[in-house]
Amino acid sequence: MNEDGVVRIWTEVARESKGESVTLAHVCAAAVTLVGVNGVGVTVRVGSSAWATMHATDETASTLEELQVTVGQGPCVDAFSDGGPVLAADLTAREYQLRWPAFAPGALGAGARAIFAVPLQLGAIRWGAMDLYRSVPGGLDPDRLADALAFAECVNILLLDGAGDSAEPTRQHTDRTAHQAEVHQATGMLVVQLGVSAETAFARLRGYAYAHDRKLGEVARDVVARRLRFDTESPDGGGPP
Amino acid sequence: MDEQLLAEAFVEVADTLVDDFDLLEFLHRVTVRCADVLSVSAAGLLLSDQRGALRMIAASSEQTRLLELLEIQTDEGPCPDCFHSGKPVAVPDLSTAGDRWPVFAAQAREIGFASVHAVPMRLRGDVIGALNLFDTRPGNLSPGTLQLGQALAAVATIALMQARAIRHRDTLAEQLQTALNSRIIIEQAKGVIAERRGVDMAASFALLRKNARDHNRRLSDLARAVVEGTEVI
Repeated sequence: MNEDGVVRIWTEVARESKGESVTLAHVCAAAVTLVGVNGVGVTVRVGSSAWATMHATDETASTLEELQVTVGQGPCVDAFSDGGPVLAADLTAREYQLRWPAFAPGALGAGARAIFAVPLQLGAIRWGAMDLYRSVPGGLDPDRLADALAFAECVNILLLDGAGDSAEPTRQHTDRTAHQAEVHQATGMLVVQLGVSAETAFARLRGYAYAHDRKLGEVARDVVARRLRFDTESPDGGGPP
Repeated sequence: MDEQLLAEAFVEVADTLVDDFDLLEFLHRVTVRCADVLSVSAAGLLLSDQRGALRMIAASSEQTRLLELLEIQTDEGPCPDCFHSGKPVAVPDLSTAGDRWPVFAAQAREIGFASVHAVPMRLRGDVIGALNLFDTRPGNLSPGTLQLGQALAAVATIALMQARAIRHRDTLAEQLQTALNSRIIIEQAKGVIAERRGVDMAASFALLRKNARDHNRRLSDLARAVVEGTEVI
């Protein structure tokens, strides 16, 4: 995404957090403002079949998340399983009534008319999805979709840090190497070296980069070139081959 | 241009675009066909991430240097220019492109490329990505070759639309994100296989593809299983 977009997102998040450390509540509140929706909810997968709502900005958002968790269907569930955004511009459309027979009527009853779900994922690493709803029908224009995707990335970082890494969440948005293919390749290599999940492997890679004040892409490149291994005994997780 | 190769390419397209086809494998094949049919050294496809930048989705070779050259174009290069203008970009002599794209031109020349072309992937009024063609010989591609490049870029666009229809997605935006995430899964799986087998990333990709073909699996499905550890390659 262009630099302006990233800066805009983080400026709004910082305004919400008022100097405190950034939480999911701050990111969701900023998303309500910038994406132009009435409410936002974040629900993640727990274990192989259960869901847990991490945050909802208002009562309707909370009801929408609860409903999806209960009936096991809805845009959040689809975004999670299909790996792409789900953009439902009008829940009264027959298409959505058929697609989510147990969710759509309840969502309308709760006050949502349009709902957009963005997956919280990085390749095979899947956390859950972020739902954004509006009380009026209408699609999400490309710029707002871009913002929603960027907010989902913020949420990913918060969830990742919550999973055991202490790196500050605002760090990644300045690291333009974070999207390079080597980062994902190195994550895969660490899965084998450490015998851990892809999520933990990625967290370790990030932790190492920040602990050594290096760019994620540079560290990843060393791993891919086999100049750096993570399976040796070392306090910070990385060591020489 | 070899008409036999061209005919084969379009037969393959028609055979592939059926229900439940493998989008990432298909896009990879389109790039391989581009290199063959258009007689260029390498080809790559980049897709819009819908946030103003392009991301690599497929390449005719998974050689690391080529993938890096495609990735650089998240920031600069002929593909972003082509993407933003919606028009083909021709660079017959890369040695003159240093001012325009310092990082891209230097790396392209280091790999041994002398010329580069980019053609847009169009869908109605929108540009959704770009096809990148590299050659070790300098010079412009002929108008006929460029036109054929456009046709192959259109085939890649149709594949994305078809995948969207099969998955009952409402918008191309939904499908683009899914495709780009699939590419990330493949990179993660390449890492797993490379580490387990002690091979480089290109060999790792070849192993992943071979396994997918042998077991009739989609590349991205198999890649996910490899990363999650439910299947071992």
